[in-house]
Amino acid sequence: MSEIKLKSIVKNFGGNSIAVDNLSEIFPDGEFVCLLGPSGCGKTTTLRMIAGLETPDSGEISYGEKIFFSSKNGEFIKTENRNLGLMFQSYALWPHMTVFKNIVFGLEMQKKSLDEKEKRYLELEKLFHLENFRDRYPSELSGGQQQRVALARMLAMKPNLLLLDEPLSNLDSNLRLEMRSELKRLHQSLGCTIIFVTHDQMEAMTLATSIAVMNKGKIEQIAKPMEIYNNPKSLFVAKFVGSPQMNIINSDKDENLALCLSKKLNIEKNKVKNFGARPESIKMVQQNNGDINAKIETIQPTGADWIVGLNVSGKSIFVISSEQPIGKENDTIGIDFKVEGCHSFDSNDLRIVKS
Amino acid sequence: MNSSVSSSHNSVLINLKIKFSKLLQQPTFLIGSVLVIILSYLVIAPIVSIFSNSVSLTMMDAMLSGGKDGEFTYKYVDRVFASSISEKIFWVPLKNSLTVSFFATLIALTLGLILASLVTSTNIFGRKYLGFLLIIPYMLPSQAMATAWLTMFKNRKISGPQGMLESFGITPPDWLAYGPLPISICMALSYFPFAFLLFSSALSKIDIQLEEVASTLGAKTKVIWSKIILPLLIPTTMSVLLLTVARTLGTFATPYILGTPAKYTLLSTSLYSSVRSNDSGVVAVIAIVLSLIGVMLLLVDIWVVRKWQRFVTVGGKGVKRQPSKLGILRTPTTLFAWVIFLIAALGPFIVLALSTLMREPGNFAFSNFGLAYWTGVNVPGMDQPGIFTSPEVITALKNSFLIAGSASVICGFLGLLIGYAVVRLPGTLISGFLRQISFLPYLMPGLAFAAAYLSLFAVSRGPIPALYGSISLLILVMVVTYLPYASRSGISAMMQVGPEPEEAGMVLGAGFWRRITSILAPLQKSALIIAIILPFITGMKELSLVVMLVTPGTELLTTQSIRFLDFGYTQLANATILIIGVVVMISVLILNRLTKTNLASGLGG
Repeated sequence: MSEIKLKSIVKNFGGNSIAVDNLSEIFPDGEFVCLLGPSGCGKTTTLRMIAGLETPDSGEISYGEKIFFSSKNGEFIKTENRNLGLMFQSYALWPHMTVFKNIVFGLEMQKKSLDEKEKRYLELEKLFHLENFRDRYPSELSGGQQQRVALARMLAMKPNLLLLDEPLSNLDSNLRLEMRSELKRLHQSLGCTIIFVTHDQMEAMTLATSIAVMNKGKIEQIAKPMEIYNNPKSLFVAKFVGSPQMNIINSDKDENLALCLSKKLNIEKNKVKNFGARPESIKMVQQNNGDINAKIETIQPTGADWIVGLNVSGKSIFVISSEQPIGKENDTIGIDFKVEGCHSFDSNDLRIVKS
Repeated sequence: MNSSVSSSHNSVLINLKIKFSKLLQQPTFLIGSVLVIILSYLVIAPIVSIFSNSVSLTMMDAMLSGGKDGEFTYKYVDRVFASSISEKIFWVPLKNSLTVSFFATLIALTLGLILASLVTSTNIFGRKYLGFLLIIPYMLPSQAMATAWLTMFKNRKISGPQGMLESFGITPPDWLAYGPLPISICMALSYFPFAFLLFSSALSKIDIQLEEVASTLGAKTKVIWSKIILPLLIPTTMSVLLLTVARTLGTFATPYILGTPAKYTLLSTSLYSSVRSNDSGVVAVIAIVLSLIGVMLLLVDIWVVRKWQRFVTVGGKGVKRQPSKLGILRTPTTLFAWVIFLIAALGPFIVLALSTLMREPGNFAFSNFGLAYWTGVNVPGMDQPGIFTSPEVITALKNSFLIAGSASVICGFLGLLIGYAVVRLPGTLISGFLRQISFLPYLMPGLAFAAAYLSLFAVSRGPIPALYGSISLLILVMVVTYLPYASRSGISAMMQVGPEPEEAGMVLGAGFWRRITSILAPLQKSALIIAIILPFITGMKELSLVVMLVTPGTELLTTQSIRFLDFGYTQLANATILIIGVVVMISVLILNRLTKTNLASGLGG
């Protein structure tokens, strides 16, 4: 099994906060793992340490039998010899080399013959629709084309481990959708392990086979995408995944709403610091017919559905509805909570799991 | 107990092992360390030596007054500040320097601001050309303006051929020909392009939306300028002010040419006479004072920049300001801008060229024109060969190319190397140290630095032989003086490329040398070319730095022109300056062609 093992990784850049804080995790073979988190949470640093572009202060990184780095016995395999693929956010195509030169660079390093280079190039050219681009320079390509060249360059040597650092964030939304399916297809056909860094929860949800949500240099939760969405381990994970964000109801400040939810979830209110309710788990009904009444503040139609801003005794919340809202702005309506989309979090911001 | 000792011993070894493997992957650390050693010697040693010179007795004085060679003494500090001659060698020159700097800076600043505003933001005629033409004075060697002035206004007070005005029968008074007035004007005309450049770039960086907001709120153009644009230019104004003062204080050619006839001494010329009279203690003290003034100005500048940081606006969408219509003022302002160009750039060129073509100044008869000063074997009345047949000029030309050429090539590579080490070792001691030390020469005026080198390399020390009188000393001092610019541009070039292209190669299996040769070097090609041509241009017109280090045989074109002037061969001096001007112009054009951008921005430094 060629799994990636991180053992007690610590990395400190000398600032106030620690970049990666005693991180231990195993990423199994063949997974498409997304490292998801806000900027500065240590996800890119983790990726760069796996690539060997940064060295941990302590800990051990291994890939299958190979120990990439160990502070215990000073083992260190150079990036050049780790035989992995890495794609940068900026793509880092070399502007002074043609598409062909960029793509076969790795093969050149291995002193492959001209025939072999040619053969592999033609395969990749076909795979990524790069016909006619062979002698162009990166500056003469569009963003999507550059992206495909970068992918081809990374895959030229058939690495088993691919590291992608926010590769889609420079693309417009249409292209992004297209590249997402491209990546998914690649992962299925190649069967390699992919570690993918992103701050976009949508990207993580749609692409990954497992998501690792990172916060302050630690992994808060690692699980399958729907598991992360449905059973977030902590308030942080719950807030970070999902759009619009989960509605957070403080049990002290938003008393009425909190009381209503504690009844609904059948949990004592004073055990809970915050309640959370996913926007799609709230249903709008006629006034006085729901769990509690609310006033409509805003209605934003997105085309597919409606995002409705409500005010429940002073607290603003958002609701997603696939049906036309039953009232208009300033109308009072009732709302119903669906239990499976509502959560409660304790004073340590951990989700309270009912036995 | 024992086991804990051995385990800590072990962890040190492991740490070393990791460090070593990192070093193999990325030997930047090694490059950085070597640079630190070399630069420490080249930059710090001269400074140390000048400080020690200022307080140790010279051999000569030891013999005269008793005492030991190299003994600690306040004699020179005393001589400069509080002796019978200190008035003459220090206090009066200090007062003169400050006066001249004040007026020159005032004029340069005003001209720069007005012209920058006109060229960037109004519809004066020919604004497209003025942007380039107004920078030309900055490319001429500083003695061009001074000798052109002298050629024009000189009177019978000094020997040599007649001045142009005098030959028309008008005798310019002394105050117009020599002393503070012409020095201030010439310096201002040489340095205003610097203010012009900085103001132009500041004006084009101001976010146009700031002005658009004001106009939507009902402000007229005049109000926008007085309430928004000019206040936003305050930090730039302060920088221009301080840097121009620093420059004028370190200028040697202008006061030497225009001040000497009137016995009007500035600190720079006073320093020079002390060097000529071999008074190394006094030289050291004055050089230290000059450097301290430089340091002070720089610190004030840093403080100002920091204090006004809130004025830094982040550029908007890069929309250009619509040139505002000047209406009735269009013709007079256009005239003003072109007259400045005429006086500061074209005028000197014409005056210098005419003087070398006319046998007798002021006589415009056709028969009076000729190429005697250029191609003659023996110029009548001078007993000197013409420029192209003069062995001295040929040697000086060769030396200039050799010295400025080698210094600029070394500077270019060194700058990129420093940039590499600084950018790739962020946050380390080496990176910080390299950054600081390569900036240090910026604090010392060229004259002071040259004095430091003179005292350091006059005798052999350790493995380094006495370099005085050799070409290599001149190359060395030029490299070190231009280091601040070279390292700064090297650092920014490396920053622009970023680590990704190299890392992408690393991931694909390229080793260090491979990454350098097939990724980094091609990416930095154009940066390197610019980094070589820019110091070459500065080197070709350098005077104050080299004037006290040259010896017969190592003269440069610039110093040779001063020699000619010393002997009263004004026309030969003018011709030599013209040669420098032509070489510089050609280099500038090549640079323009290569970079396809406005090179002027690069000369700002």
